[in-house]
Amino acid sequence: MRRASGKGEMMTDKLILYKEHLNSFLRKITKGFELIAPVRNTYGDTLFEVISSVDDVRIDLTNRPILSPKRFFMPQVETLFAYRYDKSGYTFKDAADSTPRVIFGLRSCDTRGILFYDLIFQEGLKDKYYLDRRKDTILINLGCNQPGENCFCKSAQSGPFLTYGYDIQLTDLGDRFFVEIGRPRGRELLAGWSYFFRPATQTDIDAQYEVVLESESKFRHRLDFDAAIEKLINQEVDPAVWEELGNRCQNCGGCAYVCPTCYCFNIFDSPGSGKEGERLRTWDACTFAGFSRLAGGYNPRQDKAQRIKRRFYHKLFYDKQKYNIPSCVGCGRCADICFGRIDMLSFIRLISEQRERTHESAHRRLGELLLEAGLISRKDLDSAIEKQAATGKPLGAQLIEMGMADKEAIARALGYQLKIPGTTETIED
Amino acid sequence: MSNNIYLPHIAVIKDIKEETGDIKTFTLAFKDRKLKKSFSFRPGQFMMVSVFQAGEVPISISSSPTQPGNLQLSIKKAGSLTGKIHGHKVGDEIGLRGPYGRSFPVERLIGKNLLFVAGGIGLAPLRSLINYALDKRAEFGRVTILHGARTPSDIPFRHELSRWPKERDVKVLVTVDRPDSKWRGNVGPVTTLWNKADLSGQDTLAIICGPPVMISFVVMDLLKMGFSEDDIISTLERHMKCGVGKCGHCSIGHQLTCVDGPVFTYREMKELPTDL
Ligand SMILES: Cc1cc2nc3c(=O)[nH]c(=O)nc-3n(C[C@H](O)[C@H](O)[C@H](O)COP(=O)(O)OP(=O)(O)OC[C@H]3O[C@@H](n4cnc5c(N)ncnc54)[C@H](O)[C@@H]3O)c2cc1C
Ligand code: SF4
Ligand code: SF4
Ligand code: FES
Repeated sequence: MRRASGKGEMMTDKLILYKEHLNSFLRKITKGFELIAPVRNTYGDTLFEVISSVDDVRIDLTNRPILSPKRFFMPQVETLFAYRYDKSGYTFKDAADSTPRVIFGLRSCDTRGILFYDLIFQEGLKDKYYLDRRKDTILINLGCNQPGENCFCKSAQSGPFLTYGYDIQLTDLGDRFFVEIGRPRGRELLAGWSYFFRPATQTDIDAQYEVVLESESKFRHRLDFDAAIEKLINQEVDPAVWEELGNRCQNCGGCAYVCPTCYCFNIFDSPGSGKEGERLRTWDACTFAGFSRLAGGYNPRQDKAQRIKRRFYHKLFYDKQKYNIPSCVGCGRCADICFGRIDMLSFIRLISEQRERTHESAHRRLGELLLEAGLISRKDLDSAIEKQAATGKPLGAQLIEMGMADKEAIARALGYQLKIPGTTETIED
Repeated sequence: MSNNIYLPHIAVIKDIKEETGDIKTFTLAFKDRKLKKSFSFRPGQFMMVSVFQAGEVPISISSSPTQPGNLQLSIKKAGSLTGKIHGHKVGDEIGLRGPYGRSFPVERLIGKNLLFVAGGIGLAPLRSLINYALDKRAEFGRVTILHGARTPSDIPFRHELSRWPKERDVKVLVTVDRPDSKWRGNVGPVTTLWNKADLSGQDTLAIICGPPVMISFVVMDLLKMGFSEDDIISTLERHMKCGVGKCGHCSIGHQLTCVDGPVFTYREMKELPTDL
């Protein structure tokens, strides 16, 4: 039996936990906390779940969970409060949730996502619902040994291993976990069960360092965030790109829902039976048409292209401007979910590769492409270009409006022209 | 009461004044005595108004803080919630939280001539500042109020529009888009009033509130007249849900209208992107 320091001894910041002790350690945690960990379900998906019995589930530390853990801090739908009214007036029942929790096996991207949420919900007036949950939650981060297919946390500077922000961080060293204590709460948690841990030796420290280096070398994608942000600031993204992305977006909100940093929400009332009701909040997404619509129908972001543009400006530029970090942690989930490939990965790659070209020539090229593909006639194209000169509308929009080509054809042609992944194969068929 | 920013406070409707066919001014009092006493706000700020089972919308405070115990909201029937509140009676209860948002820069206005330009219900937030300035008359110079309404029957605060010019150095000019048979006044957009208003002299600050198109035309003219970008102050309207900088709905560029606005100088406004 490997045993580390006894109870009461001072703990160093670097420890070792043997894998054979992991389940016992987690079992102990469930005694005092609600435990949340990634679990592999029968469909083969890995998801964060609340675990009541460690032995009944398959804790999966090899795959990144397909959804971020943000719902444990802001549920997709939550009751803010319930109310009732009678002769003496209204009474409120404030919903509160402050169960002490441990989230085990968070990826670095997800921990960084939570740190971003902290900025939003603590800034200015405090959001009680978020903070109540957050203050009683301990974060156990798992550094990434093996970045996934669409991961780019290294480019986003949020992984694969963290240097701050975690309560505890684990590194998988094969037969054992290298354990780092970050915030004091991490130390408090381990203090009770110090017999599971032994101090790390220099060999362990070296081994951990090797894992970090190895992992960093494994990323498929290297994205230049700063260059992309620079392009946004300087308005160097071809307007046709937004138009194309807008055409491809289906307003499903998936990108925002899976994103660990997207926080926008809606508030509305749900009437109960009789004289009572609830005020709820739900996740929202800036790609939804009604997100900014005012009474009377005026919408400052009427077009899908504007909303997509807003999304990328918000995440890359505005949040960087405001918080000094962009609100993309490189988890790659939007790339997994968006069937239109309007995800952060594709977007940054697209605008990085995009050669400088003028607005006008981009439209000319679109016309030529549609001609070549036999989707419109020369006559139609000429009259659309003429009309376009007067309206100033993008050529694609002009063609659609004049009923000369359908949206899908234009979207595909544009995608081809802009080298958006996924469209090159389809244009010829 | 509570440290929960989303929980509204109950307010009782003390009085309802029908301003026009679709605008009503509600006088409100908080039920909680302590809050009733301690509540304070600045002109230009807004409240999140709850109508139970319907939801919450932002509404500017239309009364002046110089008239304490007199919290008024002037609400135009624009949709479902505002429609529902129009059905409320004196004695009914609604929910309020706030005050929120950046107010008009009252300190900066001291000693200046004030030019108010309002379109439609945009007069509501300006009314707060107008009454504030007139209650502290000595602190401000000449006051000019220009108001544009759709038709003569769409003019709110009629009583005050006729009372204000009786004060020293106050001029009020009203125009309508479509006159009726009895209308003797000006017809046309609010910008047709420039020549009737005496805007000569330095040190005038313009405070504008109205629909976006009106704001653009007014600002364009004011710049031509030589107003500096800092001396043109306006409010922006955006869809708001939380009112406290969390929900993201009211964003313009990196700014949030609910906390960074709704009041902006034209210089600040100009820096904001138009479609983002
Ligand atoms: C800072 C600010 C101050 C305002 N002050 C006044 C005022 O003094 N008097 C006045 O009559 N009106 C004012 N408005 C406009 C008023 O908020 C809208 O007319 C009102 O929200 C419409 O609600 P509705 O439910 O009746 O409309 P619907 O069209 O039924 O709207 C449905 C939902 O959309 C949202 N919504 C729609 N329009 C707006 C909007 N403009 N702002 C925020 N959310 C919106 C609301 O959540 C609403 O519940 C102000 C708006 C802002 C942003
Ligand atoms: S960008 Fe993609 S994931 Fe996001 S709303 Fe549009 S289609 Fe859905
Ligand atoms: S934008 Fe995409 S890659 Fe970036 S954090 Fe959000 S979901 Fe992950
Ligand atoms: S209204 Fe929610 S952020 Fe402004």
